[in-house]
This record gives sequence, C-alpha cells and structure tokens, in this order.
Amino acid sequence: MSRGISLIAFVVLGLGLMPAMSFAQERMDDTTARKMPLKIWGVQFEEFEYRYSDDDEELGSWDGDIFYGTDDLKVRWLTKGEYAVDEQAYEKLENQLVGQMPVSDFFDAKAGVRFDTPEGPDRTYGVVGITGLAPQWFEIDANLYVSEEGDTSAELDAEYELLLTNRLILAAALDATVAFSEDREIGVGKGLVSTETGLRLSYDLIDRSFSPYIGVVHERKYGDSEDFVRAEGGDAESWFAVLGARLSF
Amino acid sequence: MKTAFLAGALSLLLPVIGLAGEYNLTVDRVEIDTGDFVKTGIGYNGKSPGPVLRFKEGEKVSINVTNNLEEMTSIHWHGLILPFEQDGVPGISFPGIKPGQTFTYNFPITQSGTYWFHSHSGFQEPDGAYGAIVIEPEGREPFRYDREYVVQLTDKHPHSGDRIMRNLKMMPDYYNREQQTVGEFFSDVSAQGFMNTVKDRLAWGGMRMMKADVEDLQGFTGLINGKGPDQNWTGLFQPGERIRLRFINSSAMTYFDVRIPGLDMTVVQADGNNVQPVSVDEFRIGVAETYDVIVRPRDEKAYTIFAESMGRSGYARATLAPRDGMEAPVPELSKPARLTMADMGGMHGMDHSGMEGMESMDHSTMGEMDHSEMKGMDHAGMQDMDRSGMKGMDHSAMGHGSEMSAGGASDPFYAEGSGLVPTAANGGKFLSYADLKAQKPLYDEREATREIELRLTGNMERYTWSINGVKYEDADPIRLQYGERVRFKFVNETMMTHPMHLHGMWSMLDVGAGQFNPVKHTISVQPGTTVYMETEVDEPGQWAFHCHLSYHAAAGMFRKVIVEGGPESAQAAEADTEKAGGEA
Amino acid sequence: MSAPRIVIATLAMSVATIAMGAGSHQGGHGHGVSGGKPGEASEATRTININMHDNYYEPESIDVKAGETVRLVVSNKGSLVHEFNIGTPDMHEARQAEMTMLVQHGVIQGGTLNRGMMEMGNGHSMKQDDPNSMLLEPGGSREVVWKFTGSGDIEFACNVPGHYQAGMYGDVNFN
Repeated sequence: MSRGISLIAFVVLGLGLMPAMSFAQERMDDTTARKMPLKIWGVQFEEFEYRYSDDDEELGSWDGDIFYGTDDLKVRWLTKGEYAVDEQAYEKLENQLVGQMPVSDFFDAKAGVRFDTPEGPDRTYGVVGITGLAPQWFEIDANLYVSEEGDTSAELDAEYELLLTNRLILAAALDATVAFSEDREIGVGKGLVSTETGLRLSYDLIDRSFSPYIGVVHERKYGDSEDFVRAEGGDAESWFAVLGARLSF
Repeated sequence: MKTAFLAGALSLLLPVIGLAGEYNLTVDRVEIDTGDFVKTGIGYNGKSPGPVLRFKEGEKVSINVTNNLEEMTSIHWHGLILPFEQDGVPGISFPGIKPGQTFTYNFPITQSGTYWFHSHSGFQEPDGAYGAIVIEPEGREPFRYDREYVVQLTDKHPHSGDRIMRNLKMMPDYYNREQQTVGEFFSDVSAQGFMNTVKDRLAWGGMRMMKADVEDLQGFTGLINGKGPDQNWTGLFQPGERIRLRFINSSAMTYFDVRIPGLDMTVVQADGNNVQPVSVDEFRIGVAETYDVIVRPRDEKAYTIFAESMGRSGYARATLAPRDGMEAPVPELSKPARLTMADMGGMHGMDHSGMEGMESMDHSTMGEMDHSEMKGMDHAGMQDMDRSGMKGMDHSAMGHGSEMSAGGASDPFYAEGSGLVPTAANGGKFLSYADLKAQKPLYDEREATREIELRLTGNMERYTWSINGVKYEDADPIRLQYGERVRFKFVNETMMTHPMHLHGMWSMLDVGAGQFNPVKHTISVQPGTTVYMETEVDEPGQWAFHCHLSYHAAAGMFRKVIVEGGPESAQAAEADTEKAGGEA
Repeated sequence: MSAPRIVIATLAMSVATIAMGAGSHQGGHGHGVSGGKPGEASEATRTININMHDNYYEPESIDVKAGETVRLVVSNKGSLVHEFNIGTPDMHEARQAEMTMLVQHGVIQGGTLNRGMMEMGNGHSMKQDDPNSMLLEPGGSREVVWKFTGSGDIEFACNVPGHYQAGMYGDVNFN
C-alpha cells in the first residue's frame, strides 16, 4: 500500500464522508491532571518503638513525618517524642511544621517552626535545614534552630542502611545536638549537648509498610548539659533495648 | 444500514472504504485473578484484558465506548493512524469520557497488523484497561501460517497504580528487591578482589546510583492473555503447523525477554509493520511494542513460552501444546541484571553542582573500574573474540557467567559494555533492533528537513522524569510543520530504559538501513545511548509523545506535539476566508 | 591477498564443503527422495510459471507426474533477493546454513546480489551454480528445465535467511 495514496484517500474521506466530525474543532489546551504538578502525600515513621533502659525505665518513642505537596514544594509535619510509661509523662515532645523545596539533585532545603511541648517549659524555634542523600548513601538531615529566647542550636541526623538481604536491613542512626548558647531552663548547656546512637535490625514484613525491628539505642549528654541533668538526679547516659516497627503508608 | 449503503456506494469510487463495522466496549470495574493474588481493577466488557478487536484494512469502524466507572476514562488505539480527535488522549485529542457517558469513536482503518488499545486516563491502563487489536490486511500477508494467537503480556501488580506512583515518589527503591547486599559484596570480593569491590561500591555510592536499578517496579505477576504462570494460558496446535504469535507488551513498566525453548521464532512484524523475516532464539519486547513471530512446532509435545523480565524479578509463562493440559518444563529465572558504568555514560551532562560536591565521578576512575572487572573474567572464553575485541565486550555479562555467543554479547543499541545487553539463554541468536528491516518501505527515502534533540532526563532519587530537563507540566508543546520530515535524536541521560511512543505518526527507527529502516510506534532508548528516528509529519492535529512506562509518563516524561498546517487548517483557513469575504 | 579476501576464500571453501554435503543425496543416482535433476529441454512437456514475491511464491504448489520434465520459468516480482531451490525439507535446512553465511558476508544484501563478491580468483568461487538452486535479484527471471525423478516430500523453497520460515515455500505434488 502506498502511503501517498492512503493519505489522499484519507483526506478525501475526511472531506467527503465526515463533515460532522467538526474538522474545525478548536485545538484544546490540556487542563487534565497530567498537566498539573503531581501531588503526593505520605506518612512515614522511621522509629515507632518501645524502649527498655538499663535502669528499668520504660519509654514509648517515635520519630515520623507526614507530608503533602509536589516536587517543587512540600509541607511536612515532623513529630518526635518520648513518653515515659511509669511517670505517664512526655520526656520529649517535638513537632515541626516546615516547607521543603529542592536545592540540588539530592538535597532539599526546609524552613519552618518547631514546637517543643514536653513536661516543663515549652519552647518555640524557627528552623532552617537541609535534608537529603549524601554520597555513599548516607541519609542526612541537618537543622539550625533559633528559639524564642534567642538561643541557637544545631542538630545533625545521619542514617545508613546495610542490606543483609533485600528484606533484612541493619540501620545505623546517629543524632547529635550542639548548642551555641546555654538554655538552662531546659537543661541545655553550651557545646555538644547530646547524642543518640541506634542500631536496628528490621525485616520488611509487608512491602515497606510494616517492618518490625529490634535494636539498641545509646543516649548520652555531654559537658554542661551532662552536669545539668546530673544535678537534677537524672541519667546522663542510658542504654536501651528497643522493639518496634518502621511504618509507612 | 444507510451508512453501510452509502459507504457501499462510495466504495465504487473509493475502494478504501468498502466496509463499516460497529463495535461496543464497556469500561468496567472487574476482578483480576493472577493465580498469585486477586484484586479489583479495570477492564473492558467485564474482563481484563479486554476483547481482541478484529478489524479489516479499509474498514470504517465505529466503536461505542460506555464508561461504567465513577471516574473519567478514555481509550487510545495504540499504533493506529487516525484523525487526532479519535486518538483518545484526554486533554490532547478530546476531553475524555465522563462516567455514564457513551462516546463513539469513528475512524477508517488504513493499515494492518497487530496493535493494542488502552486507557490513557490516570493509571487505568496498569490497573487492567487494555486489549488487543488485530487488523487483517486487504491483500495477502507476505508470510504463511496455519493458525494464530495473540500473546498479550502484562506485569500485574497487587498495588493500584495510584499507590505505586505514591510509593515510588516517597521511596524510589520501594519495589526494588534486587539491591546489592552484604552477601553480594563478599561474593564480588572473592570474584574481583577486595579493593576492586570497594572501589566499585564507592564509585556507585559516590554517584548515589544503584547498579540494581533496572526495574522500578518489582513484585508483579507476569500475565499472558490475563493468565498467571500457574494458570498457564495454552494455545493448541497440530504438529507441523506454522503458528503466528502476536506478542504485545501491555505492561506498565516491564520489558520481557521472550523465548520458546525448542523452537526458532521467525520475526515477521514489529509494531504492526512487516519486517524482513529474521529467525531468532529470543527477543526482548519493550513496553508497548509488538512483535509477530512464526513458529513451527514439529513434535507432538508441549512447548513453554517463557518471558522473563529484563531485571529478572519476575516472569510470564504460557504453553503451546497439541492438547490441553500438557506442559513443558519452565526454566529458572536468570541472575538479576546489573547496570555497568557504561549505562551511566549518558549522565555526564548531569548537574554536578550539588551543594555537597561530586567527587568520585571522573573518567579515570571508570576506566580503572572496567579494567578491574576484567580481571575477574574467565579468559578462556575470550579466545574466539573477533573484530570487536576487548572494547566491544559486555563485561558484566561475562562477569555473571552468561554464555558468550560467537561474536560476543554486544548490540549497537546498547551502550558499549552495558550490563543490559541481552544474550539468548541457549547461546543462540538474540534479536537486536539492528536486525529489523522494513519488508516494504512505507515512504520514499528523503533527507530529514530538520533534527530535534530530545534528551531523556530524570532524577531517580526524586523519581522525576522529564525531557530536556523539563517535566510535562512546565513544558511547551513540540511544534512540527505538516509535510516536514523530522529526525528525532534521543539522548538517554538516565540509567533507565525508556520506550518512547509518538502518537499519530510513524517512527522510523534508524538502524542504518535507509529506506528499509523499520517502521515503529514505540522506540526503546537504552541507558547511555543515542538513538535516532525519523517521522514524516503527515497527520495534522495534536498528539501525545511520551515514555510508555506508566510512572515515568505520569512523572513528566511526556510532551504534546502540535502539527501546524496541513489539510485541516487549510480547510479552516478557507472557511475563515469565506467568512471574512461574507462580512466584507 | 587482502585480509577480507582470505576470509571470503575460506568461506567459499567451507560453503563448497557444505554444498557437497548437502548435495550428496542428489545427482545422477536417481534413488530415494530427491528434488530431481536438470532435464533435457527437448523432453519438457509444459511450462510452469512461478513468481517470487516478498516473501512467498505464487503459486504455492505445483502438480507434476513422477518422471515428468517441466520447464519452470521463475520471476522475481519482489524487492528482495530470493532463491528458487527444489529439494526435501532437510536439504533446504542444510542450504539455509550456507545462505546465512552469504548474508553475513554481504553477498546478499536485501535487494542486491553482489555477484562480484563471489569471484575470488584463486580457483575459489562462491558462485551459486548448484543446478537445483537459483538466486534472483528483483526483476530477474530465469528458466530451468527440471526432471522430477522421485516422489515424496519435495518442496520448492527460498532459503534466504528467514524466508523459508516465514512461509516462502511451495509443495510439489506428485500425481
């Protein structure tokens, strides 16, 4: 079949047979969802666990976030807390609401507010930070905080996952906080404040939605912060056995 | 009846429109049972896949599509040449079909061959809204067969399309269960040495790219004509008969390597257009492509049609047998494919200005790496290497102990040294694009009037996919002039394979065969390669042009093409002139 | 002698070997199943026209009597090089291996038959002058007088790679 002939036939067909097909139809603009930025939401809990300390303290602990948005702008609510089972009180309760946008291939910048409302004095902070994937697969989350009192601090979170198999995963996490000024009321001294180091062995039971894990966590305070907590009769250093699950919806 | 009569009368003048056929399709919520899981999805006439629509070249079809869903739908006739209003892409060809509405497609059938149809709305196609089209030619086929079967492949996933998209956006490796593990590290250490393995891991980690990133979507069950491997779709034959198998890959995301152990397959058609026959042991079918092959089982026994995914994470299986219930052995899946640095070759254009710097991606490192991989190889297998020498070899294929075919595993349509170069499981002939030659040229040979470069771009960690770095949402249309012949240059700067599909007009893949270049509707562009295709711009209107991987298209690797000029606007211009004349 | 020539000369020898192997059941013996042999023009009782297309013959079968001598006029109406070869399916299969080499080495390129490449000098030739096989370029036509000696499973076929498999063959029916 010659293409030329069929083309002519088609044109004749169009003119002669299908006048009702509105050939002069206006060419439409694409207003479908495809032409709109793709909107995505998600819920993830990296940690959702029960902790049992070396001096028999029991804690419920979580670290998660919920987001909604596009490639260019996301709103993210991050929540982190520790609830002491015996005292029935929050030892730590921290919520952040940030906007997040890409600044490079692998990193996003974020800015927003952080509210700390545990037992004791509340604090509100302004926060700026970056989050993303560093070379060699380190997940990095670095934040700078300025409190309503004018105190500044920084926090660095790093995580690395080692795939023992494609479902059995050993995750190492380090979280370090540094204060640039003292905030005595909440027990923060200048300098390195605290570290939390965790090692968790998880198994992806249902896709990546539900991955139960066991692990150990080490928490420690340093310098003046260490003195402050000791002065109040607390522990400057704790070891925990943890049992929990990584969640995502 | 009147239409038929009219058409009949006109057929004296125009033999092209001798026939008229009316067809009905309903779009329904259906249950899909793969044997591994049961889920609800979307189908046609109560089933997924939908019916095989059989048309005849020259027929004028009228297809009533009734939307029984609670959402908008559409049907795109993949590979058919038709007026753009009939092409079925919401927002480009027409507004779409509302819930409860019946939309009638009307178009003439001007071609023959194997094609398919699917929804172009949301993720209805991965959810099951697809079917096959078989068009009988006006004249005889340029080949002979005693019976024929449609073999329609898909990658059915337990998750809905929306959920998959969200998961991929949230965690791009959500479905990747073939990632490199500690165990693989140690086996690589024993094969290649500790330092080489560490260097290799550091080079890839430095780029934050995964060697295992071959398939975005794993965890599917491969279906053939809607049947899972255990449900074993079976096509019957009498020994000695020639069977035409019409392979269609209707997968959302999966390339399949197809073989029938014990049978040669003679490829006679690709994407609906006849090709000069070529006999192969195995072929790779890209998403949205079709291949027609002729096989001739001579023995009174069963043969397995085995289609393993390119990344080896899953397979589809069916049987050809003299009697129902007969089975042949089902091969094991091969080892998972691994990308090589060659597949990253296109990424040099990447933005290196990330705030954290990009230290380890220099060429000398890569050269060294390739060399280090070579050390682990079995040199005994290399003595027969001719022309191509060391350079043309596929290092990774050798590293994985694949059989080497006589000329070494290389294919001009893969990056030199690519980890994706396919090899036939029996060591025989694996079809390459380079083997495809049109049976009959469709157009006269002429120089392209212009070249348009399309860089295929993306960011795996963000799961964003784009063309020339711009997603569809931010992109201007590609404007073509009616009557020109455009040479498209695809440069794949990502590490994924992209099956690029231009609607409405043929894509002539440049395999260096001049006017015998094969005529296709979907062209796979492998990582790190540059591929050319030419298009005679002979259809007015506006058309979609996109990567046919469902989640890549939805993430932005998509364009609208506007053909300016041509018969339609000539007519419109005429009408305008008349109007102006009337007013004056 | 330049390197390509050596390759081709070697090839020519190997083709010759294969051809002899394949041809061992034809020739003057007249026994068993074979395609027959060239016949005397004077004995030809009638003429049968066979047209080659891409990729099929017209007609797709011919009727002959055992022992009959027929003038076959074969015309290539297609746009590709085709072969006309009379033999058993096994003979065709053997012939396909040779044809694959001819294609790989550029002797047959789509619609072109590079006859020049068959002349190697040195006494070696890849000239396809098998009596039961003819290669025709598009537009070409040749006739052969053929005596159908035997009976059984005889086909005329084109062994250009892929063509036989795609269905370019016809049956010889003995009445």
